[in-house]
Amino acid sequence: MNLDHIRNISIIAHIDHGKSTLADRLLQMTETVTAREMKEQLLDSMDLEREKGVTIKASAVRMIYRRGDQEYEINLIDTPGHVDFSYEVHRALQACEGAILVVDASQGIQAQTMAHLFAALEQDLTIVPVINKIDLPAAMPDDVAQEIENLLGTPAEDIPHISAKAGINVEAVLAQVVDQVSPPQGDVNAPLQALVFDCHYDPYKGVIAYVRVVNGTINGTPALKAMVSGKTMEPIEIGVLTPAMFATPRLHAGEVGYIATGLKSVQDLDVGDTITLAAEPSAERLPGYQPMKPMVFAGLYPSNPDDYVDLRDALEKLQLNDAALAYEPETSQALGFGFRLGFLGLFHMEIIQERLEREYDLDVIFTAPSVEYRVVKTDGSVITIDSPAELPEPTLIEQVEEPWCDLSIFTPSEYIGTVMDLITKRRGELRNQNWLDAKRVDISCTIPLSEIVVDFYNDLKARTRGYASMDYTLDGYRASDMVKLDILVNQQPVDALSVIVHRDDAFYKGQRLVSKMKEIIPRQMFEVPIQAAVGNKIISRANVKAMRKDVLSKCYGGDVSRKRKLLEKQKAGKKRMKMVGSVEIPQEAFMSVLRLEDD
Amino acid sequence: MSNPHDAFGLYVHIPFCEKKCPYCDFNTYAGLEQRFASTVDALCREMTLWAPRLAGQPVTSVFIGGGTPTVLDEALLARLLEQIHTSFQLTADCEITSEANPGTVDRRKFRLLHDLGVTRISLGVQSFQPEELRFLGRIHDGDDACRAVDAARSAGFANINLDFIFGLPNQRPEAWLATLEQALTLEPEHLSLYSLIVEPETPLYHWVQTGRVPAPDEENAADHYELAMARLAAAGYRHYEVSNWARDTGDDAVMPDRACRHNLVYWRNQAYLGIGPGAHSHMTLADPAGGQTEQRWGNHKPVPGYVRRVMAGETVTAFHEVIDPRLSMGETMMLGLRLVEEGVEQARFQQRYGQALEDMFAPELAYLVPAGAVTVDEKRIRLTRRGLMVGNQVFARFLPSD
Repeated sequence: MNLDHIRNISIIAHIDHGKSTLADRLLQMTETVTAREMKEQLLDSMDLEREKGVTIKASAVRMIYRRGDQEYEINLIDTPGHVDFSYEVHRALQACEGAILVVDASQGIQAQTMAHLFAALEQDLTIVPVINKIDLPAAMPDDVAQEIENLLGTPAEDIPHISAKAGINVEAVLAQVVDQVSPPQGDVNAPLQALVFDCHYDPYKGVIAYVRVVNGTINGTPALKAMVSGKTMEPIEIGVLTPAMFATPRLHAGEVGYIATGLKSVQDLDVGDTITLAAEPSAERLPGYQPMKPMVFAGLYPSNPDDYVDLRDALEKLQLNDAALAYEPETSQALGFGFRLGFLGLFHMEIIQERLEREYDLDVIFTAPSVEYRVVKTDGSVITIDSPAELPEPTLIEQVEEPWCDLSIFTPSEYIGTVMDLITKRRGELRNQNWLDAKRVDISCTIPLSEIVVDFYNDLKARTRGYASMDYTLDGYRASDMVKLDILVNQQPVDALSVIVHRDDAFYKGQRLVSKMKEIIPRQMFEVPIQAAVGNKIISRANVKAMRKDVLSKCYGGDVSRKRKLLEKQKAGKKRMKMVGSVEIPQEAFMSVLRLEDD
Repeated sequence: MSNPHDAFGLYVHIPFCEKKCPYCDFNTYAGLEQRFASTVDALCREMTLWAPRLAGQPVTSVFIGGGTPTVLDEALLARLLEQIHTSFQLTADCEITSEANPGTVDRRKFRLLHDLGVTRISLGVQSFQPEELRFLGRIHDGDDACRAVDAARSAGFANINLDFIFGLPNQRPEAWLATLEQALTLEPEHLSLYSLIVEPETPLYHWVQTGRVPAPDEENAADHYELAMARLAAAGYRHYEVSNWARDTGDDAVMPDRACRHNLVYWRNQAYLGIGPGAHSHMTLADPAGGQTEQRWGNHKPVPGYVRRVMAGETVTAFHEVIDPRLSMGETMMLGLRLVEEGVEQARFQQRYGQALEDMFAPELAYLVPAGAVTVDEKRIRLTRRGLMVGNQVFARFLPSD
C-alpha cells in the first residue's frame, strides 16, 4: 500500500481507562475480526492478562479502514498499561508516528499517562486525545477536555467524546487518526532497515520478530541479518498480524508485520535490533533501545528441588517473550539451587510468578525482593549488590548507598493527608505539590526505591480508594544507614529470610517478621525459637511452642489403610515444606516478607 | 495358651444403632430394624463362605463390634454366635468380645451373651457428665452405665472394658477427672480413652464448620490425656497402647494380661478376617502366580448392597490393596509403636522381614532418637513419653514416601 495510506499508532492510557476495549472496538469496526471471533480484549492474548484486566505484552495488529473510496492501513501497536512496563511502552512508541491518548472521563489524566505522554511527545508523535467512558454516571467530559487542552493545546471541543464499551462515536477516533497522524516516511527502494520492536517464541515457527520496516522492502523470504547480534537467518515466512499471523509476499517501508526468523532462541535476536538483507545490507542500523535495567531482584527457587531443570527451561522460555526478565543461578542454604531474578518492578515479579505456575505448572518460592545497593568498603573499593547475602560484614563497610527515585503521585485532594503519611512512613521526602485542577493534586517527592517496590502501590491504592496513580524514575544513589536483618530459626540464620533494611526500621520490621514466622511455622516436635538479629544483636524473639499432642487416639478397628492414609496425607504436606536444620518451614514463610505491612 | 504371635482375629460388624451419634463416622445406621434379620442371615452366609478357606486356622480372638451388637434381639445374637462357633475353629482360650451400649442391655441379654461364649464386654460409656452425654447424643445416662456394669458382672463377665471420649469442646479438666473417678469405682479390667475427632460428613463437623461448636483444642486434649495417664497409672492400670489401659496381675510381662487380645492383632500387624458391611481384613493369601501376597481389603459398606451381594454369592470386596514388603514394614512400625511398652520387637521384625529393623530404618532412627521421640534397645523400639504425645509425627516417618 502507498505510504500515504498507512498510519502506525499506539494507544496510551492509564490502566483501566479503556485502552483494550477501544482496541477491540477498532478491530471490530474495521472488520479485522468478525463478531464471532471477538473476545473481550482480543489483543491481550495471555489468560493472565484477560483475568487481571491489564495488558502485559505489547502486540500488534493491522486494520483496514475504509473511508469513502479510500482504504487506509492502520497498524495498532498495543502497549502495556502498568507502572512496571514503561519500558515496553516506550519501545512500542518508537515504531509509531502517532498515539491515541485515552483518558477516562470520570478520572482525568493519571501520573503514568503523563509519563507515557511525555515519552510520545519526545519522539515527536502526533497525539490524538480521546475522552472515554462518557456514558459513566460520574463522567465529567468537559472538565477532562479542559485538562487535556491545558496540557496539549488541543482545543477541548475537538476532542472526541466516546464510549468504547458502548461503541459510541468510535469512528471519530479513526477519522482523526487518518487526518492528524502523519503517514510513515521511508524509502521502499533503500537498503532494508526493519526495527524489531518485540519478539516472541512460537513453538511451531521459532522466534517471531515483530518489526516496523523503516526503509526498504522484504520480498519473499530472503536471507536476513540482525545488525547488532550479527546473526543471519533464513526466514520461514513474513506477514502481517490480523491479529493472527497472516503470511504476505512482501513487507515494505512504513509497514508493521512479523518475520518468522527461523531462529531457535530469542537470545539470538534482541529487541531493538535492526534487521537487514544479508545480501545487500544497510550501512547503518536504527537507533534501537537503551538496554533496560532491572530494578528489583529476588531469589526464585523450585518448591521441589527436582524441578530445578524445569524451572530453568521455563525461565528461558519466559525470557523469549519478556526481554525485561533477567536471571542467573543462585544457591541458598535453606532453599537449595535456584536463580536470582531481576524485574522491572513488583508487579512484573508477580506476573512472572503466576506465569511460571500457570503456564509451566511449577510451584515456586520467591524470596523477599531487594534493590541494587552500592557498598563502599573500608578498603575504598565499591561493589554493587542486589541480595542480602552479598552484603559484607559490617566491619568491612564504610558506607552503603541505595537508589532513590523521583516519585510523582496524582491524587484527588481529599487523600493528600494519607498519601503524605505513606510517603513519610516510607522514608520519602516531599518536593512539591502541584494542583492539576481544583480537585486533583500532583505530589512529587523523592523516596528510596526499596520502599516503593514492596507493596507500596497496593497501599497507595488502598489509601485512596484506587484513585491515586503513580510514576517513578530513578534519581541516583544516596548514602543510607542500611543493615542486614537476619532471621534465625532454631538458632540458625535462614539466608532466604534475610532482608536489607534501614537501621531505623530494623526493630519494627524484625518484630513483624518474627511474629509472622511464629504464625506461619507450625508446631514441631520440639520448641522452636525464632529470632531477628542485626549483626550479633538479637532484636526480637518468639517461640513456636512444641507440639503438645498429635497422635491418633481413636479406634478405626481393622481399617489400617485409612489410618495409614491419614498419616500419608500429613507426610505429603510436610514434603512441601523446607527443612532448615531440623525445622520444617512452610514455603509461604519465605514470601511473608512481602506482606509485612498487612494487618 | 497358643503363641500370641500366631494370633488370628475375627471381626464381625453389626452396622446398626438405635440412634446415630453426631460425632460418629463409622459404618452404622439407625432405623434399619426391619433389616436386622436379613443382615444376620448375610453375616452368617459370609462366614460359611469363608469357613472352608480358613479350615485349620485357629482363631484366637473374636470381636463383635459396630454399631451396637446389642441392638439385636436374643434370637439373632444366638444365631450369630452359633454360626461363629460352627464356621471357625476357636482356640480354647479364645477372647470373644462384644460391644454393648449401656442403653440397650439388661441382665438377660448379658447372661445370654455369656452363655453363648462371649468372654469380654466393651461398654460405650463415653462420659459420666449429663451435659456431655447430651452433647454426644448418647441414649443412656451415667446410671444406665453403672447398671450395665453391674448386670454384666452378675451375668458372669470378669473382663469388662469401658470406652470414654475426652477433649470435648469446652470440657473442663474437673469434669474429665470426675468421669475417670467414677469409671474407676466400677473397677473395669480395661479402659479405652479416645480423643474426640471431628470427622467430615458428621453433624459435629457441620456444627464446627458453622461455628455452633468450637473445634476441639490441641492443648485441652493434651491436658486431658496427661491427666488420664497420671490418674490411671496411680490406680494400677497399665498404659499398653496409645488409647488403651488394662489391669495387670502383677507379673512383669511386657503386656498386661487384661490387654485386649483382639486389638493386639491389629497393633502387631497380624492377620484378621472382617465379616460384615464395611469390615476390613488383613492376611497373606496365595496369589494367582503361586506366591503369597499380603493383602488388605474392605467390604462394601451400605447394608442393602452388602446383603444382596452376599446372598447372590457375589463378591463384597469394595476396596483391596496389596501390601508390598516395604509398606508392610512401615505399617508394622506405625501400628507397633502404638504399643507403649512392647513397641516393635527387633527379633520379630527380623524374623518377619529377613532384615534388621535398625538397618532398614537407619535414617528415620537417626532423626527420631536424638529428637527424643523413640528409644532403641537390643530388644525393641518404643516411643518415649514425648514421642507418645506426637505419635503421628513418628509413625509417618516410617511410611514409604511415594
